[in-house]
Amino acid sequence: MAELYRADVLVSCLHGRSPELVSALKQELDRRGLAGEVKVVETGCRGFCTMGPVLTIQPNGIFYTDVQLADVPEIVEETLVKGRAVQRLLYKEPATRKVIPNYDAIPFYSKQMRIVLRNCGMIDPQSIDEYIAVGGYEALGKVLSSMTPEQVIAEVQKSGLRGRGGAGFATGRKWEHTRKAAGEVKYVIANGDEGDPGAFMDRALMEGDPYAVLEGLTIGGFAVGTQQGYIYVRDEYPLAVQNLRSAIDRAHEYGLLGSDVLGSGFDFDIRIVRGAGAFVCGESSALMQSLEGKVGEPRAKHVHATDRGLWDRPSCLNNVETWANIPPIMNKGGEWFASIGTERSKGTKAFCLVGKVRNPGLIEVPMGITLREIVDDIGGGPPKGREIKAVQTGGPSGGCIPASMLDLPVDYESLTEAGSMMGSGGMIVMDDRTCMVDIARYFIDFLKDESCGKCSTCREGIKRMLEILTNISAGLGKPGDIEVLESLAKTVQLASLCGLGKSAPNPVLSTLHYFREEYEKHIAEQFCPAGVCRALIAYQVVAEKCKGCGLCIKACPQEGISGTARQPHAIDQVKCIQCGACFEVCRLDAIQVVPRSAVTVGSNGGNGYKPVREVVR
Amino acid sequence: MSWVTLTIDGQTIQVEEGKTVLEVARENGIHIPTLCYHPALEPYGACRLCVVEIIRKGWSSLHTACTHPAWDGLEVKTNSPLVRDVRKTIMGLLLSRCPNVPIIQELAAEYGITAPPFPVEDPTENCILCGLCVRVCNDMVQAHVLNFSGRGVKRQVGPPFMEKTRQCIGCGACTSVCPTGAIEIVLEEAGVYQAKPLGPTAAIYVPTLQAVPRVPVIDTDSCIRFRQQDRTNGAIADACGACQMLCEANAIDFDQEDEFLDLDVGAIVVATGFEMWDATKLSQYSYGKSPNIITGLEFERLSNAGGPTGGEILLADGRKPERVAVIHCVGSRDHNAHEYCSRICCMYSLKQAHLVRDKTGAEVYEFYMDMRAFGKGYEEFYERVQEEGVVMVRGRGAEVEVLPSGKLRVTGEDANLGKLVAADVDMVVLSTAIEAPHDASEVASLFGLGRTPDGFFAEAHPKLRPVETNTDGVFLAGCAQGPKDVPDTVAHAGAAASMALALLGKGEVTISPAIAYVDEQFCSACKTCISLCPYTAIGFVEADNVARVNEALCKGCGTCVATCPAGAITARHFTDAQILAQIEGLFRIPVIEIPNTQYPIPDTQLPPTKESNHER
Repeated sequence: MAELYRADVLVSCLHGRSPELVSALKQELDRRGLAGEVKVVETGCRGFCTMGPVLTIQPNGIFYTDVQLADVPEIVEETLVKGRAVQRLLYKEPATRKVIPNYDAIPFYSKQMRIVLRNCGMIDPQSIDEYIAVGGYEALGKVLSSMTPEQVIAEVQKSGLRGRGGAGFATGRKWEHTRKAAGEVKYVIANGDEGDPGAFMDRALMEGDPYAVLEGLTIGGFAVGTQQGYIYVRDEYPLAVQNLRSAIDRAHEYGLLGSDVLGSGFDFDIRIVRGAGAFVCGESSALMQSLEGKVGEPRAKHVHATDRGLWDRPSCLNNVETWANIPPIMNKGGEWFASIGTERSKGTKAFCLVGKVRNPGLIEVPMGITLREIVDDIGGGPPKGREIKAVQTGGPSGGCIPASMLDLPVDYESLTEAGSMMGSGGMIVMDDRTCMVDIARYFIDFLKDESCGKCSTCREGIKRMLEILTNISAGLGKPGDIEVLESLAKTVQLASLCGLGKSAPNPVLSTLHYFREEYEKHIAEQFCPAGVCRALIAYQVVAEKCKGCGLCIKACPQEGISGTARQPHAIDQVKCIQCGACFEVCRLDAIQVVPRSAVTVGSNGGNGYKPVREVVR
Repeated sequence: MSWVTLTIDGQTIQVEEGKTVLEVARENGIHIPTLCYHPALEPYGACRLCVVEIIRKGWSSLHTACTHPAWDGLEVKTNSPLVRDVRKTIMGLLLSRCPNVPIIQELAAEYGITAPPFPVEDPTENCILCGLCVRVCNDMVQAHVLNFSGRGVKRQVGPPFMEKTRQCIGCGACTSVCPTGAIEIVLEEAGVYQAKPLGPTAAIYVPTLQAVPRVPVIDTDSCIRFRQQDRTNGAIADACGACQMLCEANAIDFDQEDEFLDLDVGAIVVATGFEMWDATKLSQYSYGKSPNIITGLEFERLSNAGGPTGGEILLADGRKPERVAVIHCVGSRDHNAHEYCSRICCMYSLKQAHLVRDKTGAEVYEFYMDMRAFGKGYEEFYERVQEEGVVMVRGRGAEVEVLPSGKLRVTGEDANLGKLVAADVDMVVLSTAIEAPHDASEVASLFGLGRTPDGFFAEAHPKLRPVETNTDGVFLAGCAQGPKDVPDTVAHAGAAASMALALLGKGEVTISPAIAYVDEQFCSACKTCISLCPYTAIGFVEADNVARVNEALCKGCGTCVATCPAGAITARHFTDAQILAQIEGLFRIPVIEIPNTQYPIPDTQLPPTKESNHER
């Protein structure tokens, strides 16, 4: 029997400073003799990244943000002994400075709807008892005791759930195909090979609520008629692997996995297979090759995996997020799930909101919410003085949606129509200091390394697109480059072997579609309006605005700015490396970005070109 | 097998289910370019060149023809503007990667690209990463040497860690499937990649250009599949099989085995020929230590127009030789090898000297002991070769030494000069002896043949019966009987054939009635007689458990009769009783009744000795 505590301290953000925070909390509680009364629980991700580490104290639901080690004694003294909230650690509305003590009321959370992430950060992911206490395994019990596989599939179909890995294939139909496929041996597989830069939805899920994935997979196994499930996790997620492993062990102990699950006669087991970190292994056929122990390379998929997948047997592969959606659907019914979202995209979707917003983090929103709601209400809008320029969705193979289209509802069809895609849920917000050529170049550079190299269009095409993009951003673009880029992108999109190759040109095509004039400016005017492509820009002091404060002189790493106090300063264009340090520090907007051609440069050409800086800052 | 109907470029085609679009198109004469496709290997879809527009259920999309199954109702466009456009871009990409590969240049030109549209990084790059070599090495040969490493633009093909590996069997399958000629097999000086310098080049080959019937054979020692079978004691046979898969006539049958035919014949001509003597047995000639020391037979292959050099006489490194030495009597007329003269070497050595002079103009040194130019026109040829400038050194070539420079030093005694002489040459031809086949003793016991001390089969009489043997109906032809040159062999063989025909023409054989027979009542089945019979005339009848004499073969020599421990064998018309009776008869002097005369018996009528006379 579990021990009883009067309070729980839930500590999130285990990838930051939380481990020290946990030990400090435990020490402090020990010191004050409260170890038997208050339990410190290490939980999964709460998603509120800028405010981490965050602490929730139950049962009163006090939500502390940005907790430092030094705050620990105060928290214990004030909250856990005296029962009062420490005001300065509570979340304050940035605009009004109003204190919001409970996290439900924080706009970052209030606009969200957490179905998949329901338990992330709320329970101890290592404890099966806590999962069961919040209603876990009810769905499996219901399915095994009162439903036939056909009924389960019908319920999933009714829910309208679609694959959360990106392509959005109807989950129920996939299950039905697998169930009806000929063959004794079948498999269900969870895809946890999340490789998009800046995406961590699946990671948060596997780390924070591993039982939900196991339960979903077990229900799926029952529905399609198999005894074996696999979870393919990238090895860069050691905590996910560890939590899933211990969850599988516990589930075995509780009779929720193994032979005769819950006494129903249904046998099911799950194995974890660790991936070696190739982005392409998130592609279904490459993933299955990798599962078989071969090199993770895609195969031509004229025959679906539901007929011939892993080891040429019918296989049902879904993203971990899809699997985690299954238990709530079974519990509350497909109709409930279908009531959320839009006509064709049902339920909620987890996103990793990153980039130029005030509150980046892990979010889950109902389908059909507009991009603007996500960016402005949940994300808190752009940093002060900046404007949103575009939102990139769908990971490296997704596309950029311009600010003018921020009222676009987030669902599979709308995003695809806009030239992007849902993807697994990366969402990068970009402001006016982001160069779209550079963004395309960044993603293509990523894909250059992550293309498996099997098919010529993807391997060679990406390489050549990168060459052209690098040239354009280095000021070596020439007329006609855009057209070549377009024809390359079209060929790669049409003729590549797998999804990676087919979607690889999306960053180029979507930026070309919405920001063509920016490309043209790079080539024709040799200028990067966003001030990112260093070879094309120069910094100049606007004499009228400069008050001669000297801040820029101190900031310049090249000692390239001169001037006397209270007199307009000047930048030595020969020494300048276009790092932008002066631009960042100037409080008077007295430094401006101008085309390189607008300034006189020293005899050596002095362009001091260095590789363009990191894009996502 | 069900049938499907699809349309390719407007042509409605009905095919059996289970083929790919590419296969169907090619069978119907529709050209689709490919680089990574090979009919014997799994389609891979890497080069993307075979993209075609496929319209299915109203949806049009591009797919590679090599991987797309030919489904019912497909509409395929192999040359639409979109397809051509995409292929053109692909060709541009490939040409920029490998600018100097002829097949890529040709294909690119077909799509109007004459120069690489993108910057060329490495003009020597020939590999397009099509994966054919990887597939053939892993799926067919199962040597598992080649594979891809690296990802994306860093992808490359090679053995593990790009290092030499002993796993490579040097089969060359990768080079033969490579569409761009990017793989080269490099022969190592020694070890795994060593190929026989003048051996067959592939596991399937036509034995000679004049072979009858002119069909290829599989060398089971080199064939990957047979070698795998050997390794696994015949358990697995799934390696390679490319020949079977590709043979349109379906003529390859791996299960074919040697057959044993039982024939009833009236005469047998033994023409089992000879073997070349192994020159490594005399180590002073350094055979095998340099590729330029070759035997006379290897020289024949080298000089043959169908040979590896197309008939040119070249050294192993491809240069023309400047000096050649021919050493006679290697293994012949030698107390350490064969004492006999091999008869043919003198003349073939002279012919080869003539060929070297004629084809290369190189100096030729003939180290000979005696020149045996005994046939018609032979002496004249000898004279002619001498006139051609061949240097004759009378004396056995004693030693061949491989110099560090790769040259060969031949030393020997010039008996005419009474001096030791040496010559540094580029090539040495050893005129090796011919000897009886290694299994001659088995053949001999099979046919009841005798063998002369030199190992060849013995004829019935060296002068009077040169083609017959001691076994009736078995004749000898050619070198089975002893070393012979071509005219002698032809004559000998003609004689043997005539003898056999004469026997058959008569239709019957006359045998001597004085032959052995076994009294089966007394035969103890000890089989002593069988092993002793010089004519293999006695067989053992298992059913009756007795030895029985083949009356047609028995010559009535009586060996068995004398040997039989049970006394069960008797020679007909030469029985013990008859012999004893004769002996008895010999000693019995008839009692001559003396008539009433006084004439004494003349001396001449008396028994030969006085003693016997006395005894009587």
